[in-house]
Amino acid sequence: MQRVGWFRSSSGNRVVISLTGLGLVGFVVFHMLGNLQVFEGPDALNTYAAMLRDMPMFLWTARIGLLGVAIFHIALAIQLVLRNRRARPVGYALREYRHASVASRTMALTGSVLLVFVVFHLLHLTAGLADPSGNNRLDAGGHADVYGKVVHAFQNPLYVVIYLVGQLALGVHLSHAVSGSLQTLGIEHAAFNRLFKAAGPAVALLVVFGNLAIIFAIFFGIVRA
Amino acid sequence: MKFTLKVWRQRGPDDKGRFAVYEARDVSPDMSFLEMLDGVNQSLIPTDEEPVAFEHDCREGICGSCSLVINGVPHGPDRGITTCQLYMRQFSDGATITIEPWRARAFPIIKDLVVDRRALDRVMQAGGYISINTGGAVDGNVLLISKEQAENAMDAASCIGCGACIAACKNASAMLFVAAKVSHLAALPQGNPERARRVMAMMEAMDREGFGSCGNQYECEAVCPKNISVRFIATLQREYLRAGIVESGLRTEPDSADQESA
Repeated sequence: MQRVGWFRSSSGNRVVISLTGLGLVGFVVFHMLGNLQVFEGPDALNTYAAMLRDMPMFLWTARIGLLGVAIFHIALAIQLVLRNRRARPVGYALREYRHASVASRTMALTGSVLLVFVVFHLLHLTAGLADPSGNNRLDAGGHADVYGKVVHAFQNPLYVVIYLVGQLALGVHLSHAVSGSLQTLGIEHAAFNRLFKAAGPAVALLVVFGNLAIIFAIFFGIVRA
Repeated sequence: MKFTLKVWRQRGPDDKGRFAVYEARDVSPDMSFLEMLDGVNQSLIPTDEEPVAFEHDCREGICGSCSLVINGVPHGPDRGITTCQLYMRQFSDGATITIEPWRARAFPIIKDLVVDRRALDRVMQAGGYISINTGGAVDGNVLLISKEQAENAMDAASCIGCGACIAACKNASAMLFVAAKVSHLAALPQGNPERARRVMAMMEAMDREGFGSCGNQYECEAVCPKNISVRFIATLQREYLRAGIVESGLRTEPDSADQESA
């Protein structure tokens, strides 16, 4: 009873959002690192993709786990936003922010854009449904040609724009999320606070730059099929 | 100096409320904001208009009564002060100043700029105290507390409970207020035995009163007249996590204080 109360409180709720969020951040970082293998050529990326697919237990555990974590994160965040809206039924006629960053004020918006983007991304590059012209061929080694699919996608300006919007939402969301999560988990120390504060923007820049490097390298023909 | 004031007027809790415009004339730059309002009210008395209701008591920045959102910032444009410590020299002559009450579901408006802040009292009643009888004052240096610990507790204890943190928060969250109280009491040996029960009870009361949750924007710290740091919110979260673990492992019935002292 006590424990249920703890998780349902506004603070317990936020602890779970922070933990699930940090878990998703961890995934996003590794996803970016894995994808950077596109710079090593078709063999590297396709072998990597094949390696993941050769471990169905691992792959599906990770997929279902991520889905569960994401659902928790989103459901609790919606609950939190609704609770917070109720906390101030009548707003101010004039409002001046002193400290709150743009990122911190748009978490719900960037989160929603991110959700739409992730669904699109899964349909596009994972399931291959969004773009019928990107066919699922095999490469010379008999692996699925993930490299070819990615290169095909980002030669198209439309997909580049969609992914840029997604990356913008991701970067802005993460820049507030990571540092905020550390504070929510009570991780604070006078000697490290500047580091913790910088952690959000640093992780956001790392992930976004890594992902943008792939998109632009393909679009400008540095990486080609 | 001369100002145009856009003031929130509301006859009572059920009134819809509206902005009224008044002129403040012959204002000295050395007047406090509340003295300027006193002058405006003086000029309203001969007219049909009722004077503007606003809260004030000590007028020296320690009681936490004054509570105005001035041009969109609780306690106005200066930092680390209450409204009564704000001077008119902070504004340019002829400026238009918007004055609003604290806005939060937990702070219903009583009249004009006066809000009911008893929600904070109820949060305090839930656990913001020490119920163990500590007897008379002990001899000096019997209870050893490090300088750092004492300073830390004092930094948190300087909260005057004005509610500016809640007024400034996008979510009308009372986290900085609760953080200050919990951190202050948990940092000292007298408050230590009840820390788990205290933080659980105060957080529960905070949610019950309809305050929002922390969004880590730190607007609260930026408007706090006592400059209370948001690091206490991290302390509060740590206390809350700790209490969640401690309480779940122990019986829910608390020990009675009498048994312990017997």
